[in-house]
Amino acid sequence: MTNVHYQQTTRRILIVDDEDLIVMAMRKYFEGLGFLVDGAYELEEAQALLANYRYDLVIADLRLTGIGGVEGLQIVADVHQRCANTRVVLLSAYGTPEIERESYNRGADAFLHKPKAMMEIAHVARTLLDQ
Amino acid sequence: MPDHRALDAILQPGGITSLFQPICAVDNGHWSIASFECLSRGPKGTNFESANVLFDYVRLKREETLVDRACITTALAAARSLPPDTHLGINVHASTLGRDPGFVDFLRAAADANGVAFHRLTIEIVEHAPPWDGLAFLSMLDRLRNHGARIALDDVGLGQSNFKMLLDVHPDFMKIDRYFIEHCATDTNRQAVIEVVTRLAHRFGAHVVAEGVEDEATVRILKLLGITLMQGFYFSEPVDVHEVPALYESARTNLPRP
Repeated sequence: MTNVHYQQTTRRILIVDDEDLIVMAMRKYFEGLGFLVDGAYELEEAQALLANYRYDLVIADLRLTGIGGVEGLQIVADVHQRCANTRVVLLSAYGTPEIERESYNRGADAFLHKPKAMMEIAHVARTLLDQ
Repeated sequence: MPDHRALDAILQPGGITSLFQPICAVDNGHWSIASFECLSRGPKGTNFESANVLFDYVRLKREETLVDRACITTALAAARSLPPDTHLGINVHASTLGRDPGFVDFLRAAADANGVAFHRLTIEIVEHAPPWDGLAFLSMLDRLRNHGARIALDDVGLGQSNFKMLLDVHPDFMKIDRYFIEHCATDTNRQAVIEVVTRLAHRFGAHVVAEGVEDEATVRILKLLGITLMQGFYFSEPVDVHEVPALYESARTNLPRP
């Protein structure tokens, strides 16, 4: 039952959000741009995927559970523990300056405040991936 | 799938699918099917179709006991259509054995309900997340053995499948992880590890099973190293229970399946 890293032929993105519609919309949008896209709806699902596949980019909602959750910070930590080259974008509708600062301190590459148009997210993603 | 429904989707009827992969006995250029390992996959069309993702998720949720039971229930229900002398390996987390005092009763009931004699079962212990109650775990192993089950240590060489586990479990089978088997035909260091583990197993009176056997060169090397029980794509990928008769036919004619 050894974990096996995925053999990539195209850039792979993980989208993490507890709302179905957001994951579905972002998946469709990024697949349309030619990315291979996985979606996860909770912290542990995202962590299990991160343990088994290598991603170029992770786009995660800061809050995956009820009020006050900051699971996105754990995802940032997990990503950087496993692969320093993976870029992470955090999204939040509740981002305070303190949380935003903490996100960058933990290694997030971008922190975007919701709502954000898909094109804007994609622009940030492209910029990070091209760096 | 909103967050709280992922585990529900795994546990609902039909959420888990069982596949069967043969463990083959190789002797003088011929092979036969010694037993099958029951392998579980999560709901189709989800991330959990991957066994690695499924069980990493389950361990992170600390729901090994619930999911192990669901996997066993599904596997034994599927296995009822197999020939009555078929031996079956079922994966169980050590944490389940240590934390679930009703496990033996559950397993007996599931085996009885599907006409699977207990002595046909090998409990393959997988473990990735200590700690668990060591005494309860060892007591559970005794109870399983008293009912006729045999014990296998899975993923030997990795993680928690270490020397302490070996001493504590005293397994009937030691399954060497595919990490050591892949490329062993050309890697003398891997051969050295396999040789040492095999000698150790024999000192313990245990049989060795090589996992992840994918080509004939590996079969040849493993035989030279004294291993006769092998599992891997060279013999067969994991198959649906309905494909098992074709596997027996392949074994009869000794042809690797494509």
